[in-house]
Amino acid sequence: MLSLNALIAASLGYALLLFSIAFWAERRARAGRVGWLRSPFVYTLSISVYCTGWTFYGAVGSAARNGFEFVTIYLGPTLVFIGWWWLLRKLLRVGRAQHITSIADLISSRYGKSTTLAVLVTLLAVIGSTPYIALQLQSITLSFSVFESGGNANLTAFWVAAGLAVFTILFGTRNVDANERHHGVVTAIAVEAVVKLLALLSVGVFVVWGIAGGPAEIFAKAPPEMLRGDRIFSARWVSLTMLSAMAVITLPRMFQVIVVENSDEKHLATASWAFPGYLLLMSLFVLPIAIAGNALLPEGSNPDLYVLTLPISQGQDNLALFAFLGGFSSATSMVIIAAIALSTMVSNHIIMPLWLRFSPPRPETSGDVRTILLRSRRLSIAGILLLGYLYFRLTGGSGALASIGLIAFSGMAQIIPSLIGGLFWRGATRTGALLGLLAGFALWAYTLFLPSFEGAFILSQAAIENGPLGLAFLTPNALFGLTGYDPLVHSLFWSMTFNISLFILGSIFSTPRPLERIQSSQFVDVFRLDKATGSYLVSRSATSEDLFTLAQRILGTDPAQRLFSEMARQQGKASGLPDATDELVQTLERELAGSVGAASAHAMVSQIAGGGTVSVGELMKIADETAQIMEYSHQLENQSHRLERTAQELRAANAQLTEMGAQKDAFLSQVSHELRTPMTSIRSFSEILREEDNIELPEAKRFLGIIQEESERLTRLLDEILDLSHLESGRGQLLLEPICLQDAIEKSLTTTSALLEEAGLEVRKTLPENPVIALASFDRLAQVFINLISNAVKYGRGRPPTLEITLEISGEDAIITVADNGPGIAAADRKKVFEKFTRLSEANLAGSAGLGLPISREIMRNLNGDLTLLTSRHGAVFQVRVPLA
Amino acid sequence: MSRTDLALSASRKRKLRDGAKLLPVIGAFLFLSPIITVFTGPLSLFGLPLIFIYVFGVWLGLVLAARAMARRLESR
Repeated sequence: MLSLNALIAASLGYALLLFSIAFWAERRARAGRVGWLRSPFVYTLSISVYCTGWTFYGAVGSAARNGFEFVTIYLGPTLVFIGWWWLLRKLLRVGRAQHITSIADLISSRYGKSTTLAVLVTLLAVIGSTPYIALQLQSITLSFSVFESGGNANLTAFWVAAGLAVFTILFGTRNVDANERHHGVVTAIAVEAVVKLLALLSVGVFVVWGIAGGPAEIFAKAPPEMLRGDRIFSARWVSLTMLSAMAVITLPRMFQVIVVENSDEKHLATASWAFPGYLLLMSLFVLPIAIAGNALLPEGSNPDLYVLTLPISQGQDNLALFAFLGGFSSATSMVIIAAIALSTMVSNHIIMPLWLRFSPPRPETSGDVRTILLRSRRLSIAGILLLGYLYFRLTGGSGALASIGLIAFSGMAQIIPSLIGGLFWRGATRTGALLGLLAGFALWAYTLFLPSFEGAFILSQAAIENGPLGLAFLTPNALFGLTGYDPLVHSLFWSMTFNISLFILGSIFSTPRPLERIQSSQFVDVFRLDKATGSYLVSRSATSEDLFTLAQRILGTDPAQRLFSEMARQQGKASGLPDATDELVQTLERELAGSVGAASAHAMVSQIAGGGTVSVGELMKIADETAQIMEYSHQLENQSHRLERTAQELRAANAQLTEMGAQKDAFLSQVSHELRTPMTSIRSFSEILREEDNIELPEAKRFLGIIQEESERLTRLLDEILDLSHLESGRGQLLLEPICLQDAIEKSLTTTSALLEEAGLEVRKTLPENPVIALASFDRLAQVFINLISNAVKYGRGRPPTLEITLEISGEDAIITVADNGPGIAAADRKKVFEKFTRLSEANLAGSAGLGLPISREIMRNLNGDLTLLTSRHGAVFQVRVPLA
Repeated sequence: MSRTDLALSASRKRKLRDGAKLLPVIGAFLFLSPIITVFTGPLSLFGLPLIFIYVFGVWLGLVLAARAMARRLESR
């Protein structure tokens, strides 16, 4: 029997060996001589960190209890690896292209670099892994206890945890590389992988050919029910295989070795068959060892330790020590890698964001951040191992720990829908991933994780057995009345059902942000990356949706809409967006180039398709800035349009003013001419009267009569000019009142009766019998009629001269027509009738300044009516329109 | 290289990829369908139970097939 001291010495020696190997590999790698350190076989061996202490010892235990079931834990990863062309290849490529550092980083990055998702996945990874780490500590203490039953398990666990923390910190946080590769650790893990495989094979060979006389003899001892068909193929068999297939990707340590530590994608091709081969060898002797243990060891022996106890029972101390080291290797390698993976997540997604937010703002150099990052990694590693140790202390090697491996598997498997969906489905969104993950984890915790504490944590024993508050349909192991299934199958069914449904529904009913959309194409179309240039083949990977968003941002909504519907029409589509053809991309690029320049346009269009070196944030900034510039230039353009319009208006106004000035000049010259005529008469006659002494009285009286007449004319003319300017300016508001139109007409006829008689004009009136009441000013209206009548008297010389006056009602207006039978007004003169100082022909009466009609029209307009000249065959026909009261 | 050769090599390459994708499907069918119950009878071969030979035989077959395909895919 080995002594405890020898055992401790062997462990320490082995640990020392690992330290030296790691140290040596690290130095070699730093010197640039990586050589076989980066061979595909080292990569494959490092993946064997999948086989932990739980599988090294536990597989035999599981086989002893459940027969062939143990093999499912290896079959799942086998299927995933031989199917590398489906999933792993893409996962690796994405991990490389996006510089992914952990599973949390992958999920976060895919869904628009969401911090929420990163924190969520990190927390769940810690929750799932802590018991798992505790399980490894337990397997090591258990294996010690085989040799020294009186040993202090807690103390052993503590020193193991402390030693692992030192190793992990030493070799796991040497540098903060962008690629997060740890050559020293990976090499040590590869050595451990060889040790544990050889240890298990040695024990197996010894059992089959050393203890028994060959496999036939061993299997003859197997209890018949161990290999019965119904115990092999069942829902649990299928579930466990699928569970392990999912876990081999999502477990933090597996993601670390497969994706993050991978130095060359080609290594995966080798691992695709070599790792399944490794697993095959690891499980080949599990069943024989279990059968032999059951047959040879005394009743009540712990099947989980058959690997150790069988050699000991046969007195094979060296083999037992080798087996012990194999188990030790399995457990330590798992803890080391898990601690590195988890510390990366915790420090990147929880500690650093918090530190950046709460640290006082000061100019940071990159060195400072590096130091902080390293320190936070180291603290995280120590913290995670402490957590594992405390968990081990608190649950104290209870039987509950044995099932924790599968519980951790199904917890981390909840990430699978978001992961697979993210890699293959463009439409997967952050909302969908968040909902799916939350639902999956909640149901996993409720149906599997919390019940595993057997009433010690949150859920009481009663609640586990009968449902919380006695609600039977909420019983954790028979949710919604689903009974008769293995708890693991039951939990997996419900958690995955809700996870997948909510993931899909959430994705369909939410709209991804631009960053999410860009990341989704970076992930889904990762193989369209052009190897030579590092840029994406735009035409096939860009969706017209993304291009449309970009176009909208830069060109504006309406022009983008026009451009895209035009393209869709050209492609023969009645509605919707056009297909993202080469032509569309080129057209868009050209359009954009007009706004932002060709280089930027190309960069943007390529970027939308994914890839490139411009960060998405920068791109959005460019787009925003461009939009702003566009906005400014648009405003400028508007302004210059406005200016142009104003200038035009000013020019028109100027022309009008010039014309008005000319009119005024004409008016003034006309006025002065009109005024000069009477003034000349007055002056000349008054001169005659003053200078001629011997003028006879009757002659003098005649002259004085002329002077008086001319003065009156002058006064009248000035009155008229004043009146017109008064009316035109609109200052003289006329007082409107109901008046009788017949009266106004009669009054004007009476006033002009002398004139009419003198001219011998015959007046014919056609007036209604009932008084027509209009809203007007009596005197002013009479003035208009007098003007028209005198006008007829002056010009309307028919034979015999007649004047017709009619009054009618038309709608809400009264129409008065004043018509003479004179020569009429020539078509060319019609317009001039209402102009000031216009004399239509020479056949006028001397002394008329011609202001009568313009004044009359102004009066009518001021009375809300009008005065117009009608076209007629005979004579001049004026029409007065005035609103009725 | 003539056109036929190019077409042939493209077709071979595609078939190889199809094979690489088909392999896990075959594996899943052999391990995860009721076909496995056909081999759980009390028969044994060279002292080994039939199920033992079936599981490890299929497993080994998958490993060898994956190896053959990986080598060819890698060489391209």
